[in-house]
Amino acid sequence: MSRLAQSNRAAPVAKRDARTAGVGGAQDGELLHNNLERMNIDQQGDSTDNRPKSEACPVCNSTKYLNSNLRFLVNPECYHKVCESCVDRIFSNGPATCPIQGCSRTLRKHRFREQTFEDIKVEREVDIRKRVQAVFNRREDDFEGLRDYNDYLNDVEDITFNLINNIDLEDTNRRFEAYQKANQTIIAENERLAREEKMGFAANQKAERLLARERRDAARREEEDERREIEEGRRDVLKRLAAGGDAEKVTKEGQQVQLKKRLNKQAAAQRQQELQNAAGTGNGTAASTMLKGLKARPKKAEPEAPIDPFGGLRFTHKYFEMQDDYRWEGIQDTMKDVRHMAGGYDVRDFTQRSLVAAFSGLGVFAGEEGGEMEKVMVDEKALGTARADLGLKDSGMAEAPR
Amino acid sequence: MAASPALDVPPDPPFKRRKTTPEPTSGTGTGTDSPDDSASAPLAADLADQLDSQERKKYVKGKKLGSGQYADVFEAHLLADPKKLVAIKKIKVGPEVQEFGISYDSLREIRFLQELHHPNIIKLHAVFSTKNQNLNLVLEHLPQGDLLKLIQDTQSISYTPADIKAWMLMLQRAIYFCHANGVLHRDIKPNNLLIAADGEIKLADFGLARPMADPYQPMTYNTITIWYRPPELFFQAQHYGGAVDIWSCGCVFAELISRDVLFRAWPENEINMVKLICEKVGTPTEENWPGVSKLKGYVTPSEIVPIKTRDDWLAVFRSIGELGVDLLIKMLTLDPRVRLTAEGVLRHPFWTAAPRPSRLEDLPRKGGGVEVMGDSLKQRGGELPRNGEANAAGVGRGDKVARKIDFGAMK
Repeated sequence: MSRLAQSNRAAPVAKRDARTAGVGGAQDGELLHNNLERMNIDQQGDSTDNRPKSEACPVCNSTKYLNSNLRFLVNPECYHKVCESCVDRIFSNGPATCPIQGCSRTLRKHRFREQTFEDIKVEREVDIRKRVQAVFNRREDDFEGLRDYNDYLNDVEDITFNLINNIDLEDTNRRFEAYQKANQTIIAENERLAREEKMGFAANQKAERLLARERRDAARREEEDERREIEEGRRDVLKRLAAGGDAEKVTKEGQQVQLKKRLNKQAAAQRQQELQNAAGTGNGTAASTMLKGLKARPKKAEPEAPIDPFGGLRFTHKYFEMQDDYRWEGIQDTMKDVRHMAGGYDVRDFTQRSLVAAFSGLGVFAGEEGGEMEKVMVDEKALGTARADLGLKDSGMAEAPR
Repeated sequence: MAASPALDVPPDPPFKRRKTTPEPTSGTGTGTDSPDDSASAPLAADLADQLDSQERKKYVKGKKLGSGQYADVFEAHLLADPKKLVAIKKIKVGPEVQEFGISYDSLREIRFLQELHHPNIIKLHAVFSTKNQNLNLVLEHLPQGDLLKLIQDTQSISYTPADIKAWMLMLQRAIYFCHANGVLHRDIKPNNLLIAADGEIKLADFGLARPMADPYQPMTYNTITIWYRPPELFFQAQHYGGAVDIWSCGCVFAELISRDVLFRAWPENEINMVKLICEKVGTPTEENWPGVSKLKGYVTPSEIVPIKTRDDWLAVFRSIGELGVDLLIKMLTLDPRVRLTAEGVLRHPFWTAAPRPSRLEDLPRKGGGVEVMGDSLKQRGGELPRNGEANAAGVGRGDKVARKIDFGAMK
């Protein structure tokens, strides 16, 4: 009977469980290793073997038999089972030690909850797994390949297993904490993504349903239109016949009109179909990126670099520095000439070009350049930039590294 | 018209050899023998011809992508690696070739594309000629069409200010690179901005480009497609600089935002264009453009429209944001000395402000663009693709642009 009652209650408990695990995750994690250490002791003791035989509260000895409303609660600190009224009684005035003999954990009331699984071992394992999962929430997309991901999963399982079975506890906990500290932002980000994914999926399904309904409506409307048109055509033919037209001609014309209309409609339908397909594929990619989720992240990391409007291209002059003003009458005259100036002629362009021309080729050695030319020929892809480099070098300009 | 347009870019004598003038570097060429009897004198035959056929054999020509008055465009791939696609632009030989040799446009295009290598400038892989002295330019394969197609397809293509910023940034980088290397493009417009497979913008069509001129060396004012032509060229300035390209870029910028040509003068003549510029930007006067009245083509305006204020611009182009409008105003300033330089444009805070320019893979694109590439490449510069009928009749817009005048007497 008690079992029945428990399984009936399983659903709401699970919900509450998820909430506590989700919201209080951080605190849980922080306490985790302490708890686990303590559980070490608890495990060999009472909690497991006194479970099946007694449905009585170990503190007040009240039983299900006498009190059908009796509920048992456990605290993830030590997983000792205590009845609800005892919890209220003992812990209402703030934290107190566990009332079970030989257990000296300090427990708080808000951490008590109902057991989801009958076997306390399973309960504990699920708790541990939840916590580990909240921290080790990497996704497959974070890894270079399946191999790396599998290795990671293996590591995580090792840690989980150690925690559950109290193997190497200190070392494992150190690893766990170190990882958590080092990856705080990524953990938070992955958590957010998982949440979004969940929501996105629901939204997608809703949109799909809506679309399907629209499609059905459109089809129905179209059918009606068609029927009405056929009817109209027939009436038209009749009218013309009544007005005294050549019977054969009128019917033929009527048929042609029908045919044309149908063809038009087919074309329209096809267009519609294409449009829908396009929209469908658009949705599809959106959904798939959402599911893959993390694929976008390495790319998002890239644009961290600010936009360089020059695209990494800078022209610096190795051999000369441009002056604002040159005392050469050729230039001075031009600068005074209103027709040059008003037309937007820029003397600096000319001086710069002349200087570049004057110094072009300096520091370029025929042998080296020949070698570079060959290199360029071999590597088709680098052809453009390399040749540009050559050209720049040739004219005494140098390109900043991209 | 003091200076004949012929003064404009007399490019170096054709570097790609003609049969009678063997390439100097080959040294051995004795000239006129045909390559067939090279067995007797393998080297002496014509080294240049050998090199030429060597180059030609590297490519396997595929289907024709487009064909125009001026050139045919073919798809091709490397013989060695069929995955590497290129486009071969075969320049048609007209009657003028007999007398003048290769046309200036192709020469200019080859000359500048051989020297300018930048990720946002169309790449010229090689040049070779075929039997009947046809020039073939092996160009980068750009399958995604051009920017004009994206702008005009208001039905199915929509883009964001971030996309505009990404496109403009690529264009401005290309222009900066050209200007820093002393080259004026002189034909910037959306249909000369081709889109690569990865979404990158490539500046194409250097048929009207020229090196920046020395002082007192006049340049033609009859250049740049009329809708994108800056006011100083309408006033027949013969000495100008990179500012002309910046004006065109400003027009492209505005066109990207509003999805309509900024100065769509109709009918397309200079008078209407000047009128439109006065209307939309303001009337050029001695106050806002010192010295403008000394320009040859300046006509004293009968009525003066005051320079438009920032708020006027904002009202039209609000979607690009305050900074974007600021940049637009500075690119479309009447006085070319006040207008930003290519470097100044790149230094503008617009680029680094939010939103960040879209990544290449996020830019909207239009499929099935190989034919488009053929369409764009086959044109002469200065010509808009919208005037098909006019073209057929031989009075295309290109006729008004300098390069055509070179051969005007021949036709």
